[in-house]
Amino acid sequence: MNNSLWIKMHGGMTHFPIALVMVSIAFDLGGQFVLENGEKTRRAGLRAAGFYTLVLGALSSFGAVASGIIISHGEIWGRGNLARHHTFLWPAFGLVIALAVWRLVVGNRASSGAFKIYLTASVITGALMSAAGYWGGELLLNG
Amino acid sequence: MRIEIKAAILAVVISGLVLELTFGIAPFLGSLQGAGPHREVQAKTGDTKPLASPGGQAEQGRSLFERNCAHCHGGDARGDEGPTLFNLALSDARIARRIKEGIKGEMPKFGSKLNDMDIAALIAYLRTLND
Repeated sequence: MNNSLWIKMHGGMTHFPIALVMVSIAFDLGGQFVLENGEKTRRAGLRAAGFYTLVLGALSSFGAVASGIIISHGEIWGRGNLARHHTFLWPAFGLVIALAVWRLVVGNRASSGAFKIYLTASVITGALMSAAGYWGGELLLNG
Repeated sequence: MRIEIKAAILAVVISGLVLELTFGIAPFLGSLQGAGPHREVQAKTGDTKPLASPGGQAEQGRSLFERNCAHCHGGDARGDEGPTLFNLALSDARIARRIKEGIKGEMPKFGSKLNDMDIAALIAYLRTLND
């Protein structure tokens, strides 16, 4: 397949994990701040939405990563903006997978304290993904 | 042991394995590129002589082109958002300056990303793009 088509595919595919993980964080944070009294159904709904968007984000990250590796000719580090992109990307990718696995295993059995640690990790992941996306954009637009 | 801690250990192990696998298959994924411009030129002209020996300067330039330039100039270098790069009538020095300094409002600067060797390889590749 032509490289410019892979580049366009990467540009499209990479937005799915970014958007889905961000929305997942928003749902989970929303669920965290919903009052307990009389709001348990809403909290459970937000947590479920956070769970499914995270799992979809983690799954879609495979396509984004694979297309990215293809357009960089197998380069997993590089230099300049590519290295900056990878500096944030690899920890973000690892964290997204780890967060999805953790939630798949724990389900609804997470204690309040454990879920707060999870939320902190997910916010860090979101920040890392944003930084990776920023440097990916710089790479395309400014070399 | 609590379920959260067991899940965290499992998550770290699986995440590590996924990263390890990703890095392991990266060379294979990197080889999934389709035909580059020089191959398309060869097919068009019927010329079976390689335009650049594998691993040569032009070959390295093609790789750099696909990573840095194909997004705007097209995978076949015949233009997309940017112009075609076939039959360039500019001198090597002028091409090098354009790559390094860019063109305000039209093309980004690559001077901080590509060194002189990279630019020389890119120029060697661009010189193979003739109709």
